[in-house]
Amino acid sequence: MTAPLATKGVSVGYDKPILENIDLEVKQGEILTLLGGSGSGKSTFLRTLAGLTPPLAGEVFLFGESLYELPPEQRAPLLQRIGFAFQQDALFTSMSIEDNIALPLRELTKLPESIVCEMVRMRLALVGLEGLGRRMPSQLSGGQRKRAALARASILDPELIFADEPTAGLDPVVAAGIDETLVKFRDALGMSVIVVSHELESIRATTDRAVMFAKGGIVAAGTLDELEQSHEQAVFEFFHARSA
Amino acid sequence: MPTPAPGTSIERNGRQAIVHVRGDVVVGTARKLHATLRALQRRRDVREVVLDFTDAGRLDSAGVAVVQLAKKGLGRRRTLQLTGLDERKQAAFELAPAPTKARKEPIAVTYLERVGEKVLETGASLRALASLVGSTLHQAMKVLTRRAKLPAGSVGGFVVTMGADAVFIVGLLSFLLGMTIAFQGVVQLNKFGAGVFVGDMVGMSMIREFGPMMTAIVLTGRTGAAIAAELGTMKVGAEIDALTAMGVSPVRFLVVPRLTALTFVGPALTLMAMFIGIAGGMLVAALQLGMRAGVFWDRVVGRVGLHDFTQGIGKSFVFAWIIGFAGAHLGMRATGDASSVGTATTRAVVVSIFCIIVVDAIFATITTLGGW
Repeated sequence: MTAPLATKGVSVGYDKPILENIDLEVKQGEILTLLGGSGSGKSTFLRTLAGLTPPLAGEVFLFGESLYELPPEQRAPLLQRIGFAFQQDALFTSMSIEDNIALPLRELTKLPESIVCEMVRMRLALVGLEGLGRRMPSQLSGGQRKRAALARASILDPELIFADEPTAGLDPVVAAGIDETLVKFRDALGMSVIVVSHELESIRATTDRAVMFAKGGIVAAGTLDELEQSHEQAVFEFFHARSA
Repeated sequence: MPTPAPGTSIERNGRQAIVHVRGDVVVGTARKLHATLRALQRRRDVREVVLDFTDAGRLDSAGVAVVQLAKKGLGRRRTLQLTGLDERKQAAFELAPAPTKARKEPIAVTYLERVGEKVLETGASLRALASLVGSTLHQAMKVLTRRAKLPAGSVGGFVVTMGADAVFIVGLLSFLLGMTIAFQGVVQLNKFGAGVFVGDMVGMSMIREFGPMMTAIVLTGRTGAAIAAELGTMKVGAEIDALTAMGVSPVRFLVVPRLTALTFVGPALTLMAMFIGIAGGMLVAALQLGMRAGVFWDRVVGRVGLHDFTQGIGKSFVFAWIIGFAGAHLGMRATGDASSVGTATTRAVVVSIFCIIVVDAIFATITTLGGW
C-alpha cells in the first residue's frame, strides 16, 4: 500500500536551505510529530509537505504522486485529500464559525445543505464547540479558534491532516482537548496526522512516531521511547532539559 | 417501495424495512443513501428501518451525517437500527453527538426597531467622533507645549505620501478644470461681447470654489481612504489595543501626525491647484481670444481680492480636517473582521465628500448673504 506521504531528498528554506536532503515516510493512520528548536525549519517543511512552499530540491510524493511536478489543475484534487490547520488559525473573520467549517463542503461537494449542516454540527461537537457555531471568530478565545480551525481542516475527512503548533500558547486543559481530537481523527476516522509541536505533554499524549530536526537535517527518528533514550544532544536537551 | 440507491437494496419484512448498504458511503456518494432514507421516512407503513452495513465499504462523516439525519427524520415513534458495523464504523458513529432539537430562529426585527438601532448607533458614533476630536486637540496641545512628542519622522513621512505624491494628479486635474471653465466661459461671455471677463471668471472660480473642492476630493480618495484602511487594519489586528495597553495614546501616536500632515498638505495643494487652474484658463484665453497672459493676469488680480483668497484657503483647512477626522474615526471603529475595514474605507470616502459639499454650501451661503 502506498504511503500517503513521502519525501525524497527534500531541501527547504528561503534564500539558502534550512533543512537538506530529507527522506521521510508517513504511514497510514499514524500521528507523526516533527520536533526541533525555533528556526529549525519544521514549519517550512510542513508547508512544503502540504503543497504551500515548493522545496529547493527533492520531491514530495503525496498519495504516490510527485506533488510539485503536477500542473495546478492536477494538484488540486490531491490537495483536497489533505487538511491543514494553521498556527494562526486562518479562519475567515467575516464568516461565522459554522460557515467557516462548511466552506470546503459547500465549495467542493454537491452535498445537500441538510447534510452539510449535520456534518458541521457533528464536527463542532467533536472539537468541543457545540452551540458556538453561529459566533464570529472574533468572539471566540484562542483555544476555541484553534479547535474551529481543526474542524474546518478535517471536515472533508481528509486522509492526511497537517497541524502547525495546534496547542501552542493554550492552557493544559484546552491543549488536552485538542490532543484528544487529534487522537480521535486517527482512531475513529483513520486519518494520518502530521503535527509540528513544542509541547511535551501534547507530544506524549498523541505521538506514534517523531522526527527530530537539527543541524539542517533529521538527527533522530522513531517512537517517543526510542527518542527519549537517544544520546543525540538536541534530542536529549529537548526531552530531558525540559523535564529537569 | 422507493427505488434503492445504486448498490443499495431494500428488503421488506412486515413493517420493517431492511436497507442493505453496499459500497462506500462517503462525501461523493452519501447523497444517494440520503435520498433512499428520505423516501423511506415518508412511508407511513414503515415503522422500523434497519441499516445493514455488512457489505458496506468506507464510511466517512458524510455517511454518519446521513444516518443521523435519518434518525431525526424518523422521529420518536419509529426506530432506526444499525447492524453489521465493524470496529471502525462503530467508532465513527460513536463520535456523532446526540440529535438536538431544532434551533429557535431569532425573532424577526421590526422596521421600527431597525430605525431605533440606527439612531442609537449614529448617536454613539457622533459621541465617539466628538471624543476623538477632543482627544486630538488635547494631544496636539500637549505636543505643542512639549509635554508629549510625536513619533520621530512621522509628520514628514505623511507630508510626502499625502502631499508630494499627490502633486501630479492634483496639478493635472486643476489644469484641466481651469481649461474647461475657460472654454465654457469664453463661449458664453463672447455672446455678450464680454470675453475679456474670462480671467475674472476663472480666477474667482478657482480661488473660491474649484481649487479647494478639487483638492479635497482628490485628498479624500487618496488620503482619507488610506487613513481609514490603515487604522481599520490596525484595529482589527489589535495593534491599537496594544498601544493602549502600553500606555501610549493611539490618538497621539496615530491620529495627530496624520492630521498635522493634512493641515499642511491640504492648503498647500489647494494653493497649487488654484494657480495651476488659472494657468489652464490663461492658456485657453490665449488660444481662443488671443488674450495675452499679462492682460489675463491683470483681470484675475483686479477681480480677486484678499478676502476671496482667504476664503479659499480657509475652506481648505476645514476640508483637510474633515478628511482626516472622517478617516481616523471610521477606521478606528472597524471591528472584528476584514470586511469591516472595507466598509470603514468606503464610508470614510462617502462621508468626507458629503460633509465637504455640505460645508462648502454653508460657506457659500454665509459669504453670499454676508456680502463677502
